[in-house]
Amino acid sequence: MALKESEAIVLRTYPLREADLLVTLFTRAEGKVRGVARSAKKSKRRFGGALEPLTYVRAHYEDRERQELARLDSFEVLESPLAAEMSYPRAVALGHVAELLDELLPDREVNDAVFRLALSVLPALRDTDVWMPITYFELWMTRLMGYLPELSECIMCGGGLNGSRAYFHVLVDGLMCKDDKRLASSEMSASSRSMAAQMFRSPIESFAGQAWTKANGADLRKFLTQTLQRHIEKKLVTAGMLEKISS
Amino acid sequence: MARLIEELKKLPGIGSKSAQRLAFHILRSSDDDAEALAGAVRDVKAKLRLCSVCNNITDVDPCVYCSSATRNQRLVCVVEEPTNIAAIEKTKHFNGVYHVLHGSISPLNGVGPEQLRISSLVRRVENGNIDEVILATNPTVEGEATATYLSGQLRRTGLKITRIAMGIPVGSDIEYTDEITMLKAMEGRREL
Ligand SMILES: [Zn+2]
Ligand SMILES: [Zn+2]
Repeated sequence: MALKESEAIVLRTYPLREADLLVTLFTRAEGKVRGVARSAKKSKRRFGGALEPLTYVRAHYEDRERQELARLDSFEVLESPLAAEMSYPRAVALGHVAELLDELLPDREVNDAVFRLALSVLPALRDTDVWMPITYFELWMTRLMGYLPELSECIMCGGGLNGSRAYFHVLVDGLMCKDDKRLASSEMSASSRSMAAQMFRSPIESFAGQAWTKANGADLRKFLTQTLQRHIEKKLVTAGMLEKISS
Repeated sequence: MARLIEELKKLPGIGSKSAQRLAFHILRSSDDDAEALAGAVRDVKAKLRLCSVCNNITDVDPCVYCSSATRNQRLVCVVEEPTNIAAIEKTKHFNGVYHVLHGSISPLNGVGPEQLRISSLVRRVENGNIDEVILATNPTVEGEATATYLSGQLRRTGLKITRIAMGIPVGSDIEYTDEITMLKAMEGRREL
């Protein structure tokens, strides 16, 4: 079969047999593709650093008859996460982006909007300040996957939430007004809701230079993580690790 | 025979065919050889443990490196796995001692600093008997994250922290070097 070429983002790799690697790729041309890099574990010559998670590459691969896994031929690095210092928060944040893409995208389904989102977030994750890009990515990813409820009205009574307090709950698919909130609900601040609205209007670059701490948008991220975990019906490993980062 | 094949198949990289081949080899070998193999397997579990100083796998505690009078105990090379020590020993040019982390920071696998053997390294450094720590984790996202994290945790006055160089393999060609390896080679250049 013919060799295919596509821009792609490496999501993760698993050892396969003695020397091979199973690689999950998010390609621009075909969506999520899984393939085998032969001898990649032993001889790094052919792939070099191109198989590191969140490397943006030009991938050459081919499908094999009656086989689900593609044969990965060669990768050319376009942008490597290793070009900038790999701090611990950054490693966890990059892992989070990889995990979300891997868990949320179906196999072999083109999604150019998500691909462009991922490409726009990667440069913002060159820094150790991870909270803004992580919030931006989670928010847009939730919306592009079709999981984001309306943030300006109560899911129970339909009443407007702008200008009043809003609450969310791990088992509820939207925000609630103060009359409809359940026991053990958390509050989502008005500032986080207006931040979300701003993030839908503006590219990520326009938020660069803002000093974010972990507290910024923490309620929004908790809401998004709960929403995503409800849809994939499992816990996100990296969400727990982000939670434990102190800054 | 089926039992032996089943057990061999559990080993990494061993499929049904290889397991069968190994099982027949063992069947044909002398009683002594078969007994020696069985004994070695038994002993490895019974006698080997982790060195209480460096976490290397050893049958004596402290291990040969940590108890050596001729090695420089003030120079510590940090590696991810015990098997990495062999690669460094092969150079015959490293005369310090080791610290084995037993892994690297791997967010996608849920492995954070608290799952690695870092606190015992911090204690070794705090005891003040160390001049230099060489971070010899892999040149990967995980290894780099681990090295950066460690350098933050270990930093104190008078302690030198170094990272092994990354770059072009000896005997290869610059023309065929990928851009990230080339970038690291340029960053790690030294004055002649
Ligand atoms: Zn309501
Ligand atoms: Zn030792």
